[in-house]
Amino acid sequence: MTSSMAFFSSTPTTHLPSFSSSSKTQFPITPFHSLLPQRHLLSVPIRATDNGSGAAIVVEEKKDTEGDSLGNGALVAATVEEVGVKFEDPKWVSGTWDLKQFQKDGETDWDAVIDAEVKRRKWLEDNPESSNNDFPVVFDTSIIPWWAWIKRFHLPEAELLNGRAAMVGFFMAYFVDSLTGVGLVDQMGNFFCKTLLFVAVAGVLLIRKNEDIETLKKLIDDTTFYDKQWQATWQDEKKN
Amino acid sequence: MASVALKSFTGLRQSSPENHHSSKSLFSNPLPSTQLHYRRLNVLAGKSSPKITGRNLRVAIIGGGPAGGAAAETLAKGGIETILIERKLDNAKPCGGAIPLCMVGEFDLPLDIIDRRVTKMKMISPSNVAVDIGRTLKPHEYIGMVRREVLDCYLRDRAAAAGATVINGLFVKMDKPTDKYAPYVIHYNEYDGKVGSVGKKVTAEVDAVIGADGANSRVAKSIDAGDYEYAIAFQERIKIPDDKMQYYENLAEMYVGDDVSPDFYGWVFPKCDHVAVGTGTVTHKPDIKKFQLATRLRARDKILGGKIIRVEAHPIPEHPRPRRLADRVALVGDAAGYVTKCSGEGIYFAAKSGRMCAEAIVEGSANGTRMVDEADLRNYLEKWDKTYWPTYKVLDILQKVFYRSNPAREAFVEMCADEYVQKMTFDSYLYKRVVPGNPLEDLKLAVNTIGSLVRANALRKEMAKI
Repeated sequence: MTSSMAFFSSTPTTHLPSFSSSSKTQFPITPFHSLLPQRHLLSVPIRATDNGSGAAIVVEEKKDTEGDSLGNGALVAATVEEVGVKFEDPKWVSGTWDLKQFQKDGETDWDAVIDAEVKRRKWLEDNPESSNNDFPVVFDTSIIPWWAWIKRFHLPEAELLNGRAAMVGFFMAYFVDSLTGVGLVDQMGNFFCKTLLFVAVAGVLLIRKNEDIETLKKLIDDTTFYDKQWQATWQDEKKN
Repeated sequence: MASVALKSFTGLRQSSPENHHSSKSLFSNPLPSTQLHYRRLNVLAGKSSPKITGRNLRVAIIGGGPAGGAAAETLAKGGIETILIERKLDNAKPCGGAIPLCMVGEFDLPLDIIDRRVTKMKMISPSNVAVDIGRTLKPHEYIGMVRREVLDCYLRDRAAAAGATVINGLFVKMDKPTDKYAPYVIHYNEYDGKVGSVGKKVTAEVDAVIGADGANSRVAKSIDAGDYEYAIAFQERIKIPDDKMQYYENLAEMYVGDDVSPDFYGWVFPKCDHVAVGTGTVTHKPDIKKFQLATRLRARDKILGGKIIRVEAHPIPEHPRPRRLADRVALVGDAAGYVTKCSGEGIYFAAKSGRMCAEAIVEGSANGTRMVDEADLRNYLEKWDKTYWPTYKVLDILQKVFYRSNPAREAFVEMCADEYVQKMTFDSYLYKRVVPGNPLEDLKLAVNTIGSLVRANALRKEMAKI
């Protein structure tokens, strides 16, 4: 690794030969890989005894296989990589979910479709697969109707937030009433109270966890950072 | 979207109204400008700088890539004595090699230096959803794939034909001028063609220097231009069997996903007779080999049976350097950091910035008869920022929104299936202008984008629960 780090810090093109030699040692040696040269070595001694010029053949044979399967002339060989299992599911047909298999009581069970897609994406994240032209993936999440998304994801959180807001609101109304004697209806008419209410609603929407404060600060920084980088050269002019 | 970008742009240079005022007053009042200084450095367009007698303005360009070559040609045509110093005349640079259509017209490139015309692109999401884009391209529109050694050589030869002196040498250092209009002294090693020779030390006196020497610019170091964040782009050239090459005849692929790159994309670009498979990253540079393996895995079925013929890597700047100009030294191209985000495109911007800088010098020196000063070179920066800021900003926003996580990338690929998106993307890429587009369609696009992002993020939250 250190040789490759040194490589990156200097101009790469002149260091190409040293780089490729380091890459030889760093290619992943899957179990299959190590079997190949051994296989060849097994067959060589037989030929060597036949031929009489044994040593030369052994060396050549070994160099051949190494040149083929590792290093600069590396073959992206079919035999080597049968790593892991591809994603397979009876309901996944020609690159998309077969909605006919998701029927429940005569209607499509969208929750089950969402679950299936979640499992597929989780699988692929852990076991990335090659993209194949003969089996293209054409699934588009927009075929799932908007109300299914709202029912599944938005509503529970909305319930949570509304519940929190209601609890806080009730307690605050009671608290203000007990302090100032202003009843709930009169509170709603007061401008200061209306402002407080607005701030409370916005706060609950934007800041749902403690981490959100940091996230918001970072977001504001992010949106202006690139502009600052471009303006940097003009700061010089002002200084002068 | 573009109107928002433009609005924010006018706030970028608060001093611009002042500049216009001072230049206007200068034209109506052609006195030697010992008066009328609003600020010490304003746009006096070299009318105050002395006339040069007995010779023309001398400019040295360090670096002979697209930026240097374009600058040298414009300078030479403008009557300025130009020397172009390039350390490796046959340099086959590690590069995607994609040039937009407008570059062919603007730089009068002959069609035979374009190896391939890419008219289709495939975007592949982390869950291998594949979307084809390019349906909206007109028959004469394409993305040109070139070999850098061919393009760079062509531009340099054209500069030489226009009157520039091309020198094979390595720039070593530069002595700052001792006086306001004293020359810069550049030190370089001139190669005499013998293999392995260190070259002989030469010095030259010039009035201005253009640093076009790329991401590891020495000129930038000598003017304390500051550093930038950079991405490492890593690429393997793979020769694949003819039937597989047929698929990549005029198609390029982009793979997105955390496995391929945490903040960039992996690509398969067709070259003259092989494909280049690569990836890049800013934040996780030590893992670049892992990302490359993942890219090869994702493209495995399409590059099966291929042989790696070359491995290469190079830094790509992520944003401009803090100082792009100091006195009479200006940076252009990768040395200045003019690579876009999101797509990582640099060739066109290098050539264009070289040309713009040279034009500013020609104008400021009145075709080489007067001395230039920093204000003339600042004109180039101002013009550059004004013309291309919207493009850079939009691409920055796209990168921030769509490259940040797997759900965002899924949404990105989903959006690319939309025809309006394809049209806007290609229009802005091929012609380098941010077109406002149809407001109703823009609104629909915004709604769809938000919908895609929300859906993908919702799925991602469910994934975390498994």
